[in-house]
Amino acid sequence: MNENLFSSFITPTMMGLPIVILIIMFPTLLFPTPTRLINNRLVSAQQWLAQLILKQMMMMHSPKGRTWALMLISLIMFIGSTNLLGLLPHSFTPTTQLSMNLGMAIPLWAGAVITGFRYKTKASLAHFLPQGTPVPLIPMLVIIETISLFIQPMALAVRLTANITAGHLLMHLIGSAALALISISPTTALITFIILILLTILEFAVALIQAYVFTLLVSLYLHDNT
Amino acid sequence: MPQLDTSTWLVTILAMILTLFILIQLKFHKYSYPLSPAPKTFKSTSFPTPWETKWTKIYSPLLLPQQ
Repeated sequence: MNENLFSSFITPTMMGLPIVILIIMFPTLLFPTPTRLINNRLVSAQQWLAQLILKQMMMMHSPKGRTWALMLISLIMFIGSTNLLGLLPHSFTPTTQLSMNLGMAIPLWAGAVITGFRYKTKASLAHFLPQGTPVPLIPMLVIIETISLFIQPMALAVRLTANITAGHLLMHLIGSAALALISISPTTALITFIILILLTILEFAVALIQAYVFTLLVSLYLHDNT
Repeated sequence: MPQLDTSTWLVTILAMILTLFILIQLKFHKYSYPLSPAPKTFKSTSFPTPWETKWTKIYSPLLLPQQ
């Protein structure tokens, strides 16, 4: 039962070839490159969406922070499209892999922090001690703030992994339950099926929200450091 | 938990770095966000001579002195 439940999270390889590479690269096919002045509907709609997201996200940053605009829009589109594609039946969701989320979170967080240390050293170090702390508490608070800083990338990665994995697991379990209940009691199976539909709607929302939260937090770390 | 099997971590991370930092950014790099088209106000640099500011009947082509 355990092996069957988690089998959708095993990195896919076909006869020894890692096709996970193709699966991770697949969402790029869904964003065609605009080649004309006036493009087709799909490209125009994506440009409109990108502009909407960019205006909202980049409004609070200084000009130095706005150099990260391409990175942040790529991040939110990548995570959003990957999560949404993972809601298709029998598909593999790369964002359930802790490896990928750590690989996204750690370099982006480190980039923001190192940028802060390079350009605003005093202000970055000042983050370790909140204003107005009583003098005896200072050593402990510096330790706590340091731990809180280093846990940021871990929290980013584990938050995304756990949310998406938990959603997929729940859908798998409730779906199996609904299927098994059909032969025992069709009414209960119908109720379970309705629960499954509500859960799927929730998962759509979670897919988008998680992309947003990830990008928003990276953006926040950037704002602190530019 | 299969996510903790570190044998596949290198492949996944490399594929993600390739996709996120290169492929997707190449797509979004080409996006342009033009302003909505609006007509430009036309300001003439040449000013009409006094007898041309008021159109009079004598300027209609058939009434001009025939060459």
